[in-house]
Amino acid sequence: MTKRSRKIPDPKPAFVERINQLLTEEKDNKAYWEILKTKPVHSIRCNTLKISPEKLIKKLNSKGWKISQPWKTNPEIMIIESALLPGELGRALEHLLGYYYIQELSSMLPMIAMKPKENESYLDLCAAPGSKTTQAAALMKNTGTIIANEISIGRMRILASNLERCGVTNTIITRKEGRALSKNLEKNNMTFDKILVDAPCSGEGTLRSTPKTYIMWNPKTIKHLSKLQKQLFLSSFDKLKINGEMIYSTCTHAPEENEEVVSYCLEKLGNKIEIIDFKLPIKTREGITKWQDKEYDKRVKLTKRIYPHDNNTEGFFVSKFRKVKE
Amino acid sequence: MKQPIEPIRIIEGREKEKIMEILLEQFGVEKIPGKIIKRGKEKIFLFTGSLTEREIQNLSQATFVERVGVYFAKENEGELRLSIEGTQILKNEIKKNIVELNEEEKETWMMGHEILKKTGLKGFVVIKYKEDMLGTGKASEEKITNFIPKSRRLKDKSIEN
Repeated sequence: MTKRSRKIPDPKPAFVERINQLLTEEKDNKAYWEILKTKPVHSIRCNTLKISPEKLIKKLNSKGWKISQPWKTNPEIMIIESALLPGELGRALEHLLGYYYIQELSSMLPMIAMKPKENESYLDLCAAPGSKTTQAAALMKNTGTIIANEISIGRMRILASNLERCGVTNTIITRKEGRALSKNLEKNNMTFDKILVDAPCSGEGTLRSTPKTYIMWNPKTIKHLSKLQKQLFLSSFDKLKINGEMIYSTCTHAPEENEEVVSYCLEKLGNKIEIIDFKLPIKTREGITKWQDKEYDKRVKLTKRIYPHDNNTEGFFVSKFRKVKE
Repeated sequence: MKQPIEPIRIIEGREKEKIMEILLEQFGVEKIPGKIIKRGKEKIFLFTGSLTEREIQNLSQATFVERVGVYFAKENEGELRLSIEGTQILKNEIKKNIVELNEEEKETWMMGHEILKKTGLKGFVVIKYKEDMLGTGKASEEKITNFIPKSRRLKDKSIEN
């Protein structure tokens, strides 16, 4: 995988301070800041609803693109090793025909952890732009049912357009605020085998692809988001069937939005919930149990932190749970 | 005044038979892999999910349902125009009214332009390039009219810069 460098805005001092508290080892810390100066690799996911990885590689090779498959267990996940023009991935015929989805490697991890199966029922609470919904539909082979929910009209249109391009036929798109949706589904007795809460977050993990996050980043937002994330987690967990599984993920490193949310919900849900260990095909670090003046439930060690410099990806956080009792 | 939202319907009975008859007549399609969904008069969606009409209606009570399944075809004066996904989903079922393009024509088609070609066919035709299904066009004596939506078109190199 190549690293593509460019100029980036200066991070805010408070952000630097927080990262320095998270990554205390000098070499590790330096590697983090270094990789932020580079763009992420061009990664795509073959849409197996429309084409096999072998056939797609053949088509892309014929365009002169060199393709690698970084994870043996997931041949559908590919990296374009060749240099591309700006926007070239999105303008290619194979993209327009829905043969692949442009998706950052770390964003593919929640579905790898969840493993949705054929004929299951699956709720994606914050679904736009649709990367994980389309990934789930492919894993479910367009069977079962997916409810893909999104609160914003603009983002919902992008979601609808991506689901259409990918030929996703097992999905119902709904528009509702996540907490309100869970509450309303309660009245319908609708429950799910799998739920994804890929929560709105401060986006610290996306600095390589979206440098404007440096400017938008704000510690107050983290506090506000943490509260919302706890509510989204608790309200949606309720909609799981017994033995149903939930993934809580974010694209941020902020412990308030990750381990703090998990620790709070584990405590709130008591013996109804079980945290699950899982494997991912990349280097991960265990969740932290102490941040500033707060100590978290020790079980949060089973959550996974993904730092950009560990695998040349973006940053992410993934955790997995099972409902064991009503 | 705000228009009332039309209910989502799973098409069954005579209405479904009629759609199947049109698909058979136009493209030789004998079966489709899912439920036909309609909201409004023209757009037809294909849904392979496990929810029943009753369950979908219940869901509509709980939240705003924007879409069920994938946009599959449009009804147009008693004829059906398949979407790109419609032609891809029915790839192995479509048996007639297929126009195969060469590489140059494929580029032109995917840029959203009409194809000047005498096919001997009239009405809606499925466009194909090698193994790729490229949606539906309308054939007349000397050309095929293009319906590729803007968001799915290749960049037209002749109008670059």
